[in-house]
Formats: sequence, structure tokens, C-alpha cells
Amino acid sequence: MLPSHVPLSLVVGQDRRAASDGDLARALSAGEAWAAVETWRRFAPMVLTLAKRTLGSPSEADDIGQDVFCRVYRKVRTLREPDSFRNFVYTCALRVLQTELHRKKMRSWLSFQQPALLDCQGSGTPDVESRDLLRRFYRLLERLAPRDRIVFVLRRVESMSVEEIAAATKSSESTVKRSLARASSRMSRWMDDEPRLADGEKQGR
Amino acid sequence: MRTTIGEPKESPALTEATDLCRDTLGPPTPAELDRGLDGFLARISPNKTRPRRFVRWSLAGAAVAVCTLVALQVASVYGKRWSAGEPPTLAYQIDGGSVLEGGYLRESGHAGMNVVFNEGSRLTLAPGTRSRLQVVDRDGAHVAIERGRGSFQVAHKSNRRWQVDVGPFLVTVTGTVFTVSWDPVSEEFDLRLREGSVVVSGPVSAGEIALRAGQRLVANLAKVQTVITEETPEQASSESPSAPPAPAVTAPGLQPPAPGPAPTPVASTVAKLAGDHQWGRKLARGQWDRILQDANRIGVEATLSEASSEDLFALANAARYRHRSDLARSALLAERRRFPGSTRSLEAIYLLGRVEEARETGTAQAIAWYDEYLTRAPTGPLVGEALGRKMTLTDKLEGPARARSLAEEYLRRFPKGNYAGSARELLAP
Repeated sequence: MLPSHVPLSLVVGQDRRAASDGDLARALSAGEAWAAVETWRRFAPMVLTLAKRTLGSPSEADDIGQDVFCRVYRKVRTLREPDSFRNFVYTCALRVLQTELHRKKMRSWLSFQQPALLDCQGSGTPDVESRDLLRRFYRLLERLAPRDRIVFVLRRVESMSVEEIAAATKSSESTVKRSLARASSRMSRWMDDEPRLADGEKQGR
Repeated sequence: MRTTIGEPKESPALTEATDLCRDTLGPPTPAELDRGLDGFLARISPNKTRPRRFVRWSLAGAAVAVCTLVALQVASVYGKRWSAGEPPTLAYQIDGGSVLEGGYLRESGHAGMNVVFNEGSRLTLAPGTRSRLQVVDRDGAHVAIERGRGSFQVAHKSNRRWQVDVGPFLVTVTGTVFTVSWDPVSEEFDLRLREGSVVVSGPVSAGEIALRAGQRLVANLAKVQTVITEETPEQASSESPSAPPAPAVTAPGLQPPAPGPAPTPVASTVAKLAGDHQWGRKLARGQWDRILQDANRIGVEATLSEASSEDLFALANAARYRHRSDLARSALLAERRRFPGSTRSLEAIYLLGRVEEARETGTAQAIAWYDEYLTRAPTGPLVGEALGRKMTLTDKLEGPARARSLAEEYLRRFPKGNYAGSARELLAP
């Protein structure tokens, strides 16, 4: 267990930074304090970038990142092959993201909370047109089913292969291909069909 | 390669959006990672753990509570729908103009336009204002002002979301009355808030600035100035775009470092004040003088050499907003020197160009900073701005002949960018 106040000795030394993923998983499982810091240092950029691109909001991505690592911390003892620690973290991230997307859909359905708009200010996009395009893009992504949305982002934004996505999401390749085809055709159609005022003109005038 | 055999071909707009998403939403900054690590460690500390039985019972109790809430919420939602039907769609009517494809508002005369919404909100556009309605739907409205002035009166009664793009700034609104203008030539943003509150975000604020009733925010990107002033009701109700800003809020400015050896503060003091990310939050709240006072108390030299990357950046911006270009330059140089390769250090290089531009003799040096940014961050988020500024300054310093190649490059890369108009003017025969 980690102490409540993290001491300065938690700064990970160079030798620990060279530890393999397997050693790191074993150390985290054994409750060694340095391993938590090193796990974050090693995998947080990957997880936070994925979360940011999936959700479109840096602030939400921060929260999700912490949920992911808390899950990794709790579940690492169930890891049978410590050498595949990176895949384990990635799979945890995808599960947490999928749960979050389901939760958002549910909240939206129950009207507890409207889907948050893209917070792209923090990511330094000064160009109005780009901000607008990103906002529209994420508004349309909200309409996809969580699973399709994740597969779409992994393929089109993260540039992963179908085989990699299948492995990461624990699905068959044909399932991934179906999901991807569905998401891509819908997104393409929606993007092409969406002169941004169409709704407003139809409904408002 | 974006498609493989068996995958459908995606639309060009979608390709553009996914590329933009990849370029814009990049890896987290070191400061974000540090913040996240703090949160993660705090969450897995023993203080946060509970006996399993307690957790199980808590979960059971929470589940019951959630079910009850869900039932109530569903009953409330359907109850409302059954009794009152769907919430009304936002509809509007335009006087003095018409709406074109893409949402552009075209003035039919020279008296400006009025856009009246059925919920009671109203938008008045001054003559010559170039604007468009980006989104008008059940959830609210998104309006863009590309040039000119608009007065908004947003109804308090609805829960709709109103957002206004004003040049490179974004104004998020609930119920409020305000006037906002943007001049792309002088790069001046001016917002006068008469009622309610708004949140402004944009390229100079490094976050968000919340304004309350009676405040006025003037941001001039070319002069690297941002000023918030308090206005009397009479001033606030005046909508003259040429009205000069009122005197700035009293700013007991930070004194420049005294010549000779600077006092060396205790390191822990610096760590406490500079390492706890308070300055970023203070900056977002507009508490620029507080940041300068803190830095003054700690000691400028000590702050520059020991503050975190985020705090240095916040200090630089606070100094810029208070026209302390000497301190802003020092903080930005420290950011660049101490955190090479970080996103903030690249932003610092761009802002150094902005700081130099504010000096009468700093044009050449500003171009050099923009060059450095373009070299070190060829696909960075500020490339369009850096290239546009470089083009403008080259035109000013060396004449249009030298600036034309930059204008061509700008239009090729950013045909709809903020400087596209200037670039086209340069290339016009």
C-alpha cells in the first residue's frame, strides 16, 4: 500500500525506469510504491491521448485517465502474463472509455446532462474554422454507438490496423470490420449531409 | 493509407476532421501528466480505500438511490413531455437582411440587422458586420462574428446553450446582455457585459476568463494587450464601438528586478507558491495582479529559475496583460530555456514574437521568433498565426514584394485562416 503522503523517494530512479513491462507489472502487483509512479509515467501519455481523442475533451480525458490507472492498480493481480502489461493497460483504457460513453449516452437519454461540447480551447486551436469542424465532428461522434465510436477512433484517428483493434477490444476481426464499416459510412453521410444550418433552417424558419 | 480493402471510402470532410483531430488533440503536456499523477496517487492512497464489506453495502445503497432517482427522473421527463409536449424549437426571424447558404447573414440595406428568436433572445448586428449563424437548434445557438459588432440579449428563461465565436475568441453565454466586436485589421476584441455573466476563451487567455456584469474586456492581439475594466451602468449601456477603454483596474504592478544581487528566497517558499498550479487558475480568473504580487514577493529571479512550466507560462501571460513586456519576455525565455521540447516552450517562442512586436524596434526580432516557431513546430497549433504574423511583419519591414511568397504559402495552407484576407490583398495585382 502506498502511504497517504507520497514521499520524495517516490521519484523513480534510472534503474527502475529501465525495468521491463513484466517487472513493472510484478512490482505493481506486489504493492511497491515506485511502480505506481512508473506505470503512470510510462503509459499515461498513451492513455490520455487516446481518451482525449475519443472524448474530444482534455478535461474529461484527465478524469478518465485516473479511472483507468485506478482500475489497472486494482486489477493488476489478475494479470496472467505480466509481459503483456502494456496491452493490459490499453484494454483497461478501452473498457473504461466504453463504460464512460455508455454512461454519457444514458445521462443524455435521462436528460441529466447534455453532452459536453468539445473543449478545444485548451488544446490551442485558435482557428475558428478548425474549432467549428472539430465541434461538428464530435457532435456527430456522439450519435454513434459507444463500441462503433471507439473502433472508429482507433482506426481513423489512432491509425491502428483492424488486427490490432480486434486484439485490443477482444473482438473478432469481422466484428471490428462490421463496426468500422457502419461507423464510417454513417459519419461520412452525416458529415456530407450536414450544412450546419440545415436543422436550424428547417426547424427555425 | 486511410482505407484498406473492404473498408468504405470516407468523405473528404471526414478525412479532414480526423486529421485535424489527430493534429490538435496530441499527447498531454508534462504539467498535465504531473497533475494527473498527483490525482492518481491520491486516489490509490490508503485513506481512499474502504473495507470490502463497507464498499458492497455502499454500492447496494447507491444502487437503490440511483434506481429511485432514475424512476423520478423518467417520470419527470415523460410527465413533462406528456403534459407540455417537446420543448419548443428555437426559431428566428431576420429584419434588415437574409440568411445565405452556410449561415451567412447578408444585410439588405445599410442599417444593420436584427435577428429575433422565439424564446425572447435577440441579436442586433451593426451595419457592415460580417457574421453567420452556425447552429440554431433545440439545444441553443452558435453564432460567429467575423468582423464588426453584435449586441446580444439572451433570454434567461431557457436552458439552451449559446456560444459566440468572435474572431479567434469564443464567448459562452447563459442568460445575459452584452455587446461584442472584433476588428480583424487591428485584431481587437471588445466585450461589454451589461447583465449576467459570460466566459471568454481565446488565444491570449491561456484558459478562460469569466466576466461579470459591468465589466469590459478589451484584447488587442497586435499590441499584446488585454485589459479588463469596470464600467458604470451608463458606460456599459453605451454601445459606441469607438469608445476608449476606461482606466484599467488598479494594478500595483510588479517592480522590475533591482540591479545588483537579487534576494534569494527559501526554496520551499517558491515550491509552495509556484509549484501548486495556483497561477494558472488565477490567470483564468483574471487575477493577474495577484500573480505579479506573488512573484514579486518570492523574488523574480527565484521564480524564473524555479517555478513550474505552467506557472511560468501563467506569469508570462499575466505580465503581458499588464503591459510588463520586460517581465513577460524574461518568463518566456525562462520557459524556453528550462523546458525545451515541451508544448509550452513552443508556445513561449510564438509569444516572444508577440512581445517583440509590441516594441517599435522589435519587428525583425519578432520575425526571428516566428521563424523559430515555424522551424521547431512545423505542424503546431500556432503555425497559422505565426505564418500570418510573419507575413504581416515582412510586408511592414521589407515591403510587399518580399511578403508575397509568404502570402502564397499562407493561402495554400490556410485558405480560410485569419490572415487569408490580408494575404489575398498582398497578392492582388
